[in-house]
Amino acid sequence: MSTEAEEKIKAQEKYREMSIAEFFAKNKELAGFSNPTRALYQTIRELVENSLDATDTHNILPEIRISLKELEPATEDKPAKYEVAVEDNGIGVPPNEIANAFGKVLYSSKYVIRQTRGMYGLGIKAAILYSQMTTGQPVFIVSSMDSSENIYYRKLLIDIKKNEPIIIEEGQLIKKNNWHGTKVYLTLEGDWTRAKPKVIEYIKRIALISPYAEIIFETPDNEIFYFPRVTKKIPKPPSEAKPHPHGIDIEQLKSMISFTKTKTLLEFMTEEFQSIGEVTAKKFLESIGLDPNMNPKSLIEKGNSKLLQTLSAGLRTYKGFRPPRSEYLSPIGEELIEVGLKRLFNPEWVKAITRQAKAYEGHPFIVEAGIAYGGNIIPSEEPVLLRYANKIPLLYEEREDVSYKVVSSINWKIYNIEEPMPLVVLVHVASTKIPYKGVGKESLSEVSELESEIKNAVQEIARSLRLYISKKNSEHILREKIVTISKYIPEIARSLSILSIHPDKWGSNGKNIDKDLIEKLIKIVSKSVEFPKIDGKEEDPEKVVRSVIANVKLEQ
Amino acid sequence: MSHIDKIDIAARKKVAEIFYKKFMELNEEISKEKPPKLEIPMRTFANTEFDISKGILKLGIKKIERNFLNMNESKKFMQTLLMASIIYQALVENEYPTIRDLYYRGKHTILYKDLNGRLKEENTWEEQSESDASIRDVEVMLGLLREDMLILSKEKGKVVGNMRIRSGNDVIDLSKLGHGAYAIESTPDLIEFLDYDAEMVLVVEKDAVFQQLHRAGFWQKYKALLVTGAGQPDRATRRFVRRLHDELKLPVYILTDSDPYGWYIYSVFKVGSIQLSYESERLATPKAKFLGVSMSDIFGYGTKKAYLSEEERRNFIIKAKDLDIKRAKELTRYSWFKSKLWKREIDMFMDKKAKLEIEAMASKGLKFLAFQYIPEKIQTNDWIE
Ligand SMILES: Nc1ncnc2c1ncn2[C@@H]1O[C@H](COP(=O)(O)OP(=O)(O)OP(=O)(O)O)[C@@H](O)[C@H]1O
Ligand SMILES: [Mg+2]
Repeated sequence: MSTEAEEKIKAQEKYREMSIAEFFAKNKELAGFSNPTRALYQTIRELVENSLDATDTHNILPEIRISLKELEPATEDKPAKYEVAVEDNGIGVPPNEIANAFGKVLYSSKYVIRQTRGMYGLGIKAAILYSQMTTGQPVFIVSSMDSSENIYYRKLLIDIKKNEPIIIEEGQLIKKNNWHGTKVYLTLEGDWTRAKPKVIEYIKRIALISPYAEIIFETPDNEIFYFPRVTKKIPKPPSEAKPHPHGIDIEQLKSMISFTKTKTLLEFMTEEFQSIGEVTAKKFLESIGLDPNMNPKSLIEKGNSKLLQTLSAGLRTYKGFRPPRSEYLSPIGEELIEVGLKRLFNPEWVKAITRQAKAYEGHPFIVEAGIAYGGNIIPSEEPVLLRYANKIPLLYEEREDVSYKVVSSINWKIYNIEEPMPLVVLVHVASTKIPYKGVGKESLSEVSELESEIKNAVQEIARSLRLYISKKNSEHILREKIVTISKYIPEIARSLSILSIHPDKWGSNGKNIDKDLIEKLIKIVSKSVEFPKIDGKEEDPEKVVRSVIANVKLEQ
Repeated sequence: MSHIDKIDIAARKKVAEIFYKKFMELNEEISKEKPPKLEIPMRTFANTEFDISKGILKLGIKKIERNFLNMNESKKFMQTLLMASIIYQALVENEYPTIRDLYYRGKHTILYKDLNGRLKEENTWEEQSESDASIRDVEVMLGLLREDMLILSKEKGKVVGNMRIRSGNDVIDLSKLGHGAYAIESTPDLIEFLDYDAEMVLVVEKDAVFQQLHRAGFWQKYKALLVTGAGQPDRATRRFVRRLHDELKLPVYILTDSDPYGWYIYSVFKVGSIQLSYESERLATPKAKFLGVSMSDIFGYGTKKAYLSEEERRNFIIKAKDLDIKRAKELTRYSWFKSKLWKREIDMFMDKKAKLEIEAMASKGLKFLAFQYIPEKIQTNDWIE
């Protein structure tokens, strides 16, 4: 190509920089704000998830109040306007951080290796941007930390071009009680009628997975959904971890080196990474041919890029490191999953399992699963799938999710489950890094380690369920046997009572049913049946026999 | 009932004791909390044996257990007990129920709740066939016939002849019934034979022929006791014939249509019916002789001249239908139809595919039937056993 031609093309293109705020304002669907319905749902989600991060992650029993009010009804060319307010009893936001946390895209306290719902530093800002663009109204934040003597408030907008907060109003009040937490008010356009089913579903599922939380939701229809706390047990909160060498890429390595205070490579290895001791570090450095005593900073100097690459590749592939540590993770636990499933579905049978931790690409993860069967569950062609990641319910993009892939490929017939099935399958993935497919956090990628763990978890419970169903079936057959036989006991006793009166003793008093005969027959039938033990309990045959007989009437 | 006679009362007492004994055993088993069961001889063809020495069909030794604890048998178990109790009650209370009465007395509804708590109704039995089956169970289980248990059925059989019997408290002269006849009662064992002047018993299949022979004075002339079962004979008629044979030592001749159905009726008198083989011991008359009408009567055989002329054959013979052929083939399977004479008879039938109703002989002239055909056949021993 000639230089003249190249210049011509350049002349046709206009170049400029775009701030990240502007980027998400322009591409709101990327963060889940594609239309007034989704926007309303997504806004509530972001607020609630921030509130939960500010509470249970810090061992506080959550109390969350969500209120949604219609400010202006919809017109022909404009959706309705709503005010969303979410209040929590969390740790609060430090006053000097409020503006940035709420007014600067990609500003977060969660950029650490810790299992939290939030991870991008984007959520609340995406909601504020949407609010700002549809109503022009600022966001209003009220917050106080436990230690603080004041309650701080800020009213702000986001400067989209600069990606900076514009403070409209700020101030503080003296705290008269010991309230701590955060309350956020947002005004936005939305479509409640359409969003309602999803929003309510979302809140129910939040309640399911956090039975230790108290949640109140006031709808624009003046309904109140109240989910009381059903247990005070709260899962052990997640803690912050150092990175695992397998999960570090070259850019992260560079930044770790630039921030480190360690003086030697050996020290850098043992201090900055998780579960690397001196012995391991030495062996590792030897294997890649790096000097343990060299200053790590020298690796980011010009001309040393080869060495840096060697270290980076070694970190990601060396087999001698211990697997990522899972004790930083906070699974929900089998008990709470079962409590949650019971509360929402009142099932006949429920069981949950928390699997051992595994890792992918240096990130530890734990898969938990729960199955609820029968009871109030409405039978359908396929099981109802409840997906969760770091305690967040995922409602959209179900078919793109790795859990769906696993669950839909299971042949339930081999577990004695017939279609239509009254079955709910819950899958929860806890990790310091959830492999979301997008920043809207709606589906998980098909990471093979994850896929096989989910499969193992679901199948393991399904096997228990099969056992339960087959015991249940045999119990049912036995119960039917008891009914079939026992209903004749009174008639038989009566006939035999007559046949047992000697002709010479035939009298008027002789025609009563011999009560002893009935008792004996009850004993005989009871003895002939042995119910299977189900969940450690077994039915008493005699009780069943007696209840049948109690209902039998002979018509003459 | 005030005028119940002694025989009747004694019979009741004996049978009631059998009931009582049997069911007290069950009662005691239950007191020991043993699984209740009834042992009932099997009433299937597979458990039917032909007793060659006695010449009758008998029930084999196979028994079935009817277990109350077996889901598939508990209803039958209940029905058998229920039936036994009704019969027992009737026995003790001096009643004579019919099988239909027993059906109604035992039929009632059991109300119960199923596993889902829904109210359900179940009748102790729906059809009379079910209660009849229970009667048969009680019969085989106790080794008693329904006649023994004083259960009445519709009277079908008739008898006339020179004989006096006692039935209940009355003496009946079987020769003084005018054009009518004595209806053989449901409880033939309660009949007492007083005196008689007869040399044989002639059983005719058809009521109409019986009436004709009666009016013609056949029994007076040939000193016969004339009996009919009016088609398929009931149990009382068979028992009555058996008693005449056993107790009065009279030969028994049987006259039926010349077709497989007629042969079967003869067979029922002689060896018993297949479904009810358990009763044969007391109902069958193994020495009964098949007098006719035989194939050789129609067509002649060897030196024997046919009773019918060519023209009469053309007029009276009916062409055998497929069903007749099928029946005849079935009969050849039974051992008592395997004798030389029977083989000849059946072969001729298969060959000619012809059957003849006994009325045809009568229409040749009642006198011919009564005073030529029958006496001649008896005199010349022209019968099949
Ligand atoms: N209710 C709250 N209580 C305490 N801190 C909060 C609350 N809401 C937001 N924050 C703070 O504001 C920060 C930014 O929140 P934002 O939702 O934008 O991002 P995030 O939660 O870190 O990640 P993500 O984009 O995945 O949601 C949070 O990291 C947190 O420190
Ligand atoms: Mg967030």
